[in-house]
Amino acid sequence: MSAVAADLTSALPPRQTLWSKAIYKFRRDRAGLIGLGIVLLYALAAAGVWLGFWATDWADVSGPKWAPASAEYWFGTNMIGQDIFSRSLYSTRTAFEVGLVVAVLSTLIGAVFGAISGFFSGSFIDELVVWLMGVLDSIPFYLLVAAIAFSLGDNPYAMHIAMISTFWIGTSRLVRGEVIKLKEFEFVEAARSIGVGQLTIIFRHILPNTLHILLVQSTITFVAAIKSEVILSFLGIGVQDGMSWGLMISESTLEVLAGFFNNFIAASVLMFGLVMAFNMFSDALQDALDPRSTVGGDS
Amino acid sequence: MTKPLLSVAGLKKYFPVRGGLFRTVQAEVKAVDDVSFELEAGQTLGLVGESGCGKSTLGRSLLRLQEPGGGRVLFKGQDVLAMDKQALLQQRRHMQMIFQDPFASLSPRRTVGQTLREPLEVHGIGTEQERDRKITDLLQTVGLRPAVLDRYPHEFSGGQRQRIGIARALALDPQLIVADEPVSALDVSVQSQVLNLIKDLQRERGIAFVFISHDLAVIQHVSDVVAVMYLGRIVEMASAKQLYGDPKHPYTQALLSAIPVPDPGNKSQRIVLPGEVPSPLNPPPGCPFHPRCSQATDACRTKAPELSNAGSAEAPHQVSCHLFPPPSS
Amino acid sequence: MTVLSVRNLQVEFATERGRVRAVDNVSFDVSAGEILGLVGESGCGKTVTGLSILGLIPSPPGQITGGEILFGGRDLTKLSDKDYEQVRGSEISMIFQEPMTALNPVFTVGAQMTEILRLHRGLTRKQARAAAIELLSLTGIPAPEQRIDEYPHQMSGGMRQRVMIAMALSCDPKLLIADEPTTALDVTTQAQVLEQIVGLQQQFDMAVVLITHDLGVVAETCDRAIVMYCGEIVEAAPVEALFARPRHPYTAGLMRSLPRLRDEPVDRLPVIDGMVPDLLELPSGCRFAARCENAAEDCREKRPAIDGNGHAVRCFYPLSAGGAHD
Repeated sequence: MSAVAADLTSALPPRQTLWSKAIYKFRRDRAGLIGLGIVLLYALAAAGVWLGFWATDWADVSGPKWAPASAEYWFGTNMIGQDIFSRSLYSTRTAFEVGLVVAVLSTLIGAVFGAISGFFSGSFIDELVVWLMGVLDSIPFYLLVAAIAFSLGDNPYAMHIAMISTFWIGTSRLVRGEVIKLKEFEFVEAARSIGVGQLTIIFRHILPNTLHILLVQSTITFVAAIKSEVILSFLGIGVQDGMSWGLMISESTLEVLAGFFNNFIAASVLMFGLVMAFNMFSDALQDALDPRSTVGGDS
Repeated sequence: MTKPLLSVAGLKKYFPVRGGLFRTVQAEVKAVDDVSFELEAGQTLGLVGESGCGKSTLGRSLLRLQEPGGGRVLFKGQDVLAMDKQALLQQRRHMQMIFQDPFASLSPRRTVGQTLREPLEVHGIGTEQERDRKITDLLQTVGLRPAVLDRYPHEFSGGQRQRIGIARALALDPQLIVADEPVSALDVSVQSQVLNLIKDLQRERGIAFVFISHDLAVIQHVSDVVAVMYLGRIVEMASAKQLYGDPKHPYTQALLSAIPVPDPGNKSQRIVLPGEVPSPLNPPPGCPFHPRCSQATDACRTKAPELSNAGSAEAPHQVSCHLFPPPSS
Repeated sequence: MTVLSVRNLQVEFATERGRVRAVDNVSFDVSAGEILGLVGESGCGKTVTGLSILGLIPSPPGQITGGEILFGGRDLTKLSDKDYEQVRGSEISMIFQEPMTALNPVFTVGAQMTEILRLHRGLTRKQARAAAIELLSLTGIPAPEQRIDEYPHQMSGGMRQRVMIAMALSCDPKLLIADEPTTALDVTTQAQVLEQIVGLQQQFDMAVVLITHDLGVVAETCDRAIVMYCGEIVEAAPVEALFARPRHPYTAGLMRSLPRLRDEPVDRLPVIDGMVPDLLELPSGCRFAARCENAAEDCREKRPAIDGNGHAVRCFYPLSAGGAHD
């Protein structure tokens, strides 16, 4: 073989994973770290509920009505004597369950639709998807949810389905824009010149490069799902069985009239805490993953 | 006389420009306008010109990465443009491409190993072990260690990435490689390394190259035959020796003199062309170069010249210029 | 008369792998009416040096950690943001490589030029417009009265670059910093723009710092040149001397490895082996030693200092008058 230049002898720089820059930036964002910490705390609580470690007694009518906060009932009891703390804890699990299911599924669906319409932008498929997005977007959200909930009757996932069917649009738009940009890159041409098929190019080469968008979008969708669930449950078309902060707030409307605020405050504060923390985490994540910002000099 | 490896005839690629309320086609950008040339096996054709001349579009049209609008591209006698999907997939093994931008030509989220393995996987070549061996050989050919296989493109310099791109192009053992400005984005000290690598590949593997560049010095170093393009057409084509020794077309002369020479003692007579390269949307009538040509005549303003041989039969020197009219029959 | 004096400049950047010293102890002077070339490859620190002069180093990751930049009797590194704004655009101007991103796409060329004129020279709207038209024609733009109302995307690369030059000259600066002004342009346009820069420089009697990686451009336009490698100056000399008798092995190697028009094409281009070292893992001795043919033991252990006056070089064993080209 020919004597090619001495790259063979020069040492390679130390390993740099795809995420090292992002992790470095994220670790310096105090707000993001605090947000992440709080979210993990909530997640731990939710996991414990799911595994049956605590809050199994959330429905038990064990105490006196409207007991104030005490050693036995940390947040007091509600109108029929249920432990507010247990109910709040249980609702954490509900929040995460709704958030995760909706975030993951709507991000996946949004990614797929966005990638396909972006890659074939300008064609009939693209027009179709864009039209679909426009139609779904123009129906007022709560009307759509009500319609889906009504038509699906007692299906426990009616709310999830309703949310997913509108939340995918945001992700899809962003992914579509990014894919339109990415498909002009030379590595896509290179793949075509080798003979790689179009669908393979979309899902193996292009979509992985939108990961930063998908991650940030999924956190945004998570928060939106929790907030929407609270409102839907409050309206009575959300969570049907089990407990959620929305249901607690809904219950508490009567209690508040009677002068008892514990229920309302507990649910609201906990919800606010999670949403706020998640937002901080999401913002920090977005900054960290932003491919444009450089941390370092060049010539 | 042996058949040429590649024979291009009348290649055209026009881009429609849509506008107006109903997005009707209002104009056409004639990116490649009736280009013909031949390339022997193992030969290198240097395609040189400035931005907008169509050289990149031409290179991509040869591989059908852009679908040409007309003409024929005969590879060993078969018309690549007429091939169906299946045949084209097979054809891809013989014609590969090296890209300009080392930062955009490798997928950022795939390791080097995955990138190099992909051509072999797509075409079902070899077993697992054979593929691994082939990839290691490829890396050695381009001067990289096998340890790079698990790494991602962002961990490498521009020159190293370009080598990975070359390794990828070699994976299918092609007979023709279209190299689109392969060293333009590299540092000067790395350019020479990569150019030497390409020359070695030409010699040791007998690969034919269509080498696209705007840099006439680089083209001289690697090409056997050189074609100069302007606004989608070839305006001069000859062996490297003839073109550089005796440039006939006024544009070629201007291009050659415009190159800054790293030699302050040699302040050559610069031909500084007036005006700018016209927009391909609105090419001038007649000879597209006439507005900037110091020797333009009336014929140049009205009638477009054709490529004709201003040299001899053994040493053809094609020029498209009214100053070199075809010998009247 | 010295217009700019950079002394022991040090610029560092914080990266996820540690602190990088992009510019390490760089000193040079620029005289009035002189074109100084700052030449080197990517990562050598030439652009960072140019940006530091104007105080344009992005501040969270980057920082001037040492040295002074003396201009007009002041040390620019000690200027407040407000004072720097007075200097930028009027006393020191800069033009950049990519004219499309340096010009604001949503404003007309005229709007951008008159903004500068009214800001720094206090002209009225009418006066500014007239001055702008004159500047445009000075940089060789045909029909400037029409062009002034166009948007950047309506112009070609060469023309946008000329607009940038016109904007840079509008306040009669004493110093122009040009960062790779022709790299993104076609060869024929490059020739025009370079000719313009040299002509205008003489007309306005400006000092110019021309940052480039293209040795050909340096040979054709510069009076003196400074070669940078890994953040340091490795050689500084008047251009004729630099090309006729390069003293640093890097400079000589670079000149030899350039593909250039020759009467007889060569088979293999001479090559500088190896790669530019990672700025985070600089060797202890001379930074070029690993790639240098003449490297000796002490080259790898000790770092050479820059030495010499008219023709300075940073090397323990500088090349003697051997000549650069074949």
